[in-house]
Amino acid sequence: MIEFQNASFNYAGEQAVRDVSFRLEKGEFAAVIGENGAGKTTVAKLCNGLLKPTAGTVCVNGMDTRTTRASRIARSVGILFQNPDMQICQNTIREEILFGLQYTMDDPAERARRCDEVLCEFGFDGGRNPFSTSRGERQRIALASLMACRPEVLILDEPTTGLDYRECMEVMEKIRLSNERGATVMMVSHDMEIVQDFARRVLVVADGELIGDGPTGEIMTDVELLSRASVAPAQIPALALRFGDMFPGVFTVRQMADAIERRL
Amino acid sequence: MIRLHNLNFKYRGATDFALADMNLEIGEGEFVGVIGSSGAGKTTLTYALNGVVPHYYGGDFYGRAEVNGLDTIEAGPAKLSEIVGSVFQDIDGQMVASIVEDELLFGLENFGVPRKEIGERLAMALETLGISDLRDRAIATLSGGQKQKVAIAAIVALKPRVLVLDEPTGELDPKSSVQVFEMLKKLNEDFGMTVVVVEQKIMLLCEYVRRLIVMGGGRALLDGTVRDVLQNAEALGAAGVSVPRVTSLAVELKRRGLYAGSYPASVPEAERMVREVLA
Repeated sequence: MIEFQNASFNYAGEQAVRDVSFRLEKGEFAAVIGENGAGKTTVAKLCNGLLKPTAGTVCVNGMDTRTTRASRIARSVGILFQNPDMQICQNTIREEILFGLQYTMDDPAERARRCDEVLCEFGFDGGRNPFSTSRGERQRIALASLMACRPEVLILDEPTTGLDYRECMEVMEKIRLSNERGATVMMVSHDMEIVQDFARRVLVVADGELIGDGPTGEIMTDVELLSRASVAPAQIPALALRFGDMFPGVFTVRQMADAIERRL
Repeated sequence: MIRLHNLNFKYRGATDFALADMNLEIGEGEFVGVIGSSGAGKTTLTYALNGVVPHYYGGDFYGRAEVNGLDTIEAGPAKLSEIVGSVFQDIDGQMVASIVEDELLFGLENFGVPRKEIGERLAMALETLGISDLRDRAIATLSGGQKQKVAIAAIVALKPRVLVLDEPTGELDPKSSVQVFEMLKKLNEDFGMTVVVVEQKIMLLCEYVRRLIVMGGGRALLDGTVRDVLQNAEALGAAGVSVPRVTSLAVELKRRGLYAGSYPASVPEAERMVREVLA
């Protein structure tokens, strides 16, 4: 569970997040959208205590991030940075996955077993140097290291940036699976197609303020709100809008095809 | 302007060829998009155009690559950089200065641009990218998107005849991505610059480029106008490339036997398709 209560954050006098309040329940899958510089990454970093609110409070799994050490929060809250190279620090994929596990599991044998499971699940060669792999692979390695620790809350900052379509789907399916197993997911994304396919709730951020919060279908078809956040609607909602009230609430390919078929 | 003839390249130590019998001709003033899955050879293609391959990344190089009549083996990256401006995927690896203005000045001064011209070029590049307000900012304080624009502005200031960009909108939001492509369109149409852009965002490519190349296994699998390439929706899927959602809608309507026409690439085209189906 994540709860922001009138949370604000200043970077050296510049206000990045202003008076943000929302509550994310266990098992939710929410996306945070908005233009570059809107404050999305700051919201993500406030969730795991990497940043402490300069006003208001942020509580994650009952821990007040102002008074709890970031290392303590990290035991149940995992974060995937926009750039995996900011995260990867070991010379082999196996060591990289074990690195996070040493802080969350005490038994070495259990850690090794979990590591093997994850290597197998993601199809990695554990002996390979992560820095000799492609950007997409490094993103998957960072995600695998995170998921190995089975955090209760996953904070994902642009998890599909730089990935091709196939890699993107692979990464998102892993995240979906983790959410289905009970993890709370908060994902910052610019990709409206990914947001509409995977998130069930969308938070809209503009100029550091939360200007929208609701179910995905509702937010993705609210053109006025998206426009205020400088976000263009995805193609299917944009297409539906061209037909006035004919296709209300339609935002996926299947919904559109069904709606067209019903009208024939 | 660009001619690749049976080009093959294998990175030193690699087992597979990154480019395999690649043949390609791009005329002056074309606006070309390149798409494909990871490992398809897209980035290596950009390296072949600016001489980074094989001059920086060595390996087995067979065939011939020419840019503006220059053989890239003979010319080398320094000579080629007078013609080809490159924006790499890793922009942090491209930045050399700590202040935005200095980043642009670095290239201009090293290219020996006359002093009286420098100010004008600097202002033009910043304005084209819409980042005049960032001129005195420290690069370390910029967002990923802002840094991407600075990297492009630094190249645009050099007025290259060919602009090669490797995923220039990777870290940009949709609005900024559109701004970058509007800028590329302007450079292509107003300055006659040949633009080759590797991009994963198929919808942007569909909207802006006039020619689309789908790469796979180190060669061009599909090459044609956007409309022609999209007619191969299944082949695109097999190449690990997504199609625009409106194209997927056409695929779904065809599967249900409701539509038999061509695949739309944009929302207006899809609107015409839906009206046709409903008529």
